Amino acid sequence: MSVYLKNFFRFCFIMLIQILILNKITLRWWSQPSGFPIFIPYVYPLFILLLTFETPVWLLIILGFITGITVDTFMNTAGIHACATVFIAYLRTNVLNALLPKNLSEYPNQSPSIKNMGWMPFLVYSGFLILLHHIVFFTIELWNISNIGYLLLKIAASAVTSMLFIIAYLLLFTRQSVGKS
Amino acid sequence: MRNFILFIRRFFNLILFLGVEIVCIVLIAHTNTMQGTDIVSSANTVAGILYKKQNDVVYYFGLRKMNDSLINENARLRKQIAGLKSVDTLKDTIVKKVIPSADTNRHIVHYADYLYRTAYVINNSVSAANNYITINRGSNDGITKDMAVLSGTGLVGLVVHVSPHFASVISILSIKQQVSAKLKDGTSSFVNWEGSKPDVMIMKDIPMQIKVKPGDSIFTTGYSLHIPGDILIGTVFKLEYVKKNNMQILSLHPSTNFRNLQYVYVAGNKMAEERKQLEDSVKSKP
Repeated sequence: MSVYLKNFFRFCFIMLIQILILNKITLRWWSQPSGFPIFIPYVYPLFILLLTFETPVWLLIILGFITGITVDTFMNTAGIHACATVFIAYLRTNVLNALLPKNLSEYPNQSPSIKNMGWMPFLVYSGFLILLHHIVFFTIELWNISNIGYLLLKIAASAVTSMLFIIAYLLLFTRQSVGKS
Repeated sequence: MRNFILFIRRFFNLILFLGVEIVCIVLIAHTNTMQGTDIVSSANTVAGILYKKQNDVVYYFGLRKMNDSLINENARLRKQIAGLKSVDTLKDTIVKKVIPSADTNRHIVHYADYLYRTAYVINNSVSAANNYITINRGSNDGITKDMAVLSGTGLVGLVVHVSPHFASVISILSIKQQVSAKLKDGTSSFVNWEGSKPDVMIMKDIPMQIKVKPGDSIFTTGYSLHIPGDILIGTVFKLEYVKKNNMQILSLHPSTNFRNLQYVYVAGNKMAEERKQLEDSVKSKP
C-alpha cells in the first residue's frame, strides 16, 4: 500500500476514534453530576507523530493545520486545536533530530514507532510533544491566568490520559513483532 | 532582491509556521465575538451528518432514562394546568368564572410570546471551557440565531450557528457568556460558570440583606430579548459572604443535567423583532 493511502486511512481512523469515542468519555464517565477535574484524551496528534521521518516541515505544518481544523469543526473550537497541532508539527523535526542517533535522512520510508526507535525514545518523543500540544491548547481555551492551578491540573490529567490512550492505540493497531518493516 | 529571496528560502518554514498560526488566531478571535464563521462549527453538514449517524446508534441505550424524564415533565406540566383551571370534580367539567366587566383593570391579557419547537440533541460536551451542543433542527425548521434552548427541567443555552438541517447551541456551561437571573423575590444578578465543574455555577453580587437559604431556586429574568422569563436555572447549595463589599456569592447546581441531555425545546420569541426595533429606536435618539 502506498504511503499516501496508508496515511489517509490512518487519518480517517484516528479522527473517528477521537470524535466518536474519546470526546464522549468525559460525558458518560460519571453519569452522576458530581465533580472531578475534567480531562479529555486527545489522540489525534498521533497522526502527525506517526508520519514518516523524511516528511518536510512545510508539509507537516499544512497537514497539522488540516488535522487541527477538522477536529475544530467537530468540537466547535474554531482554530484552537489547529493552533496547537501546527505548533507541534513545526517542532517535530527538531525533537526527532535531538532524540535519534543518526540523521533523519538515514531512515528511508520509515515512520516513528516503538519498533524503530525503542520504547524509551518513542515515549519521550510522543510524551513531550503531546504535553506541548496540551499546554498550548488548554492555555488558549481557558485564557485565564487567575485559575492557574486548575489549568495545570487539567493539562496534567489530560496529558496522562492521552498518553495512556496513545500507548493503547499503538499496541492495538501497529505491528509489534519483528516482521517486515 | 536576491537577498530577499534567499532570506525567504532560508526561513521558509518559520514564515509558513507563523502564517498558519496567524490564520488560526484570526479564526479564534472571530469566534470569540460569538458571531464566528459558520464553516468551522459542528452545525455544518458533514459534521452534522456524522454526529446524526452516531446518534442513531447510541439512541437506544438512553431510551429508559428519556422516558422517565418525559413522564416527570408531563406530570409537572399537568400539575401546572391543574393549577390554572378549577375543576368541579362532581360534574367533571371546568367551572367558568364570570369576570365582571367593571373589573377590567385586574384582567390581564397574556400573549403567547414564545413558540416552542422540539429538537433532539445529537452531540454534546461538558468538558471544554465553552461547551457546545448540536441539535437536529436548522433554519429549514425555523431555527434562527440567538433563540433560547430549554430542557424539560431548565435552561440549556442559546443557538449560535444555524445550517439548513442542524444548529449548534452554546450551553450556559461556557466562560464566554453569562445569564441574567433572579431569586424568588426578584433580586436580579448574573449567573456564570467558572469553567471547571459542570454541576456548579456561580451567582455573584447578591446584597447581604437578602436572605437566601440553601435549596432556593434561581430563575431567568425576562430582561433578555430571547430567553423567556421564570425558567429554572438551578438551586442554591452554598453561600459565601464577601466582607469587602458586603455581598454574597451563591453557588448553584444547574437544574439541567448536561451529561444526559436528549430532548430540548427551542423557544423563539415572536415579539423579538418588534421589541428590538423599539429598544433600538430609543437608543438611537440623542
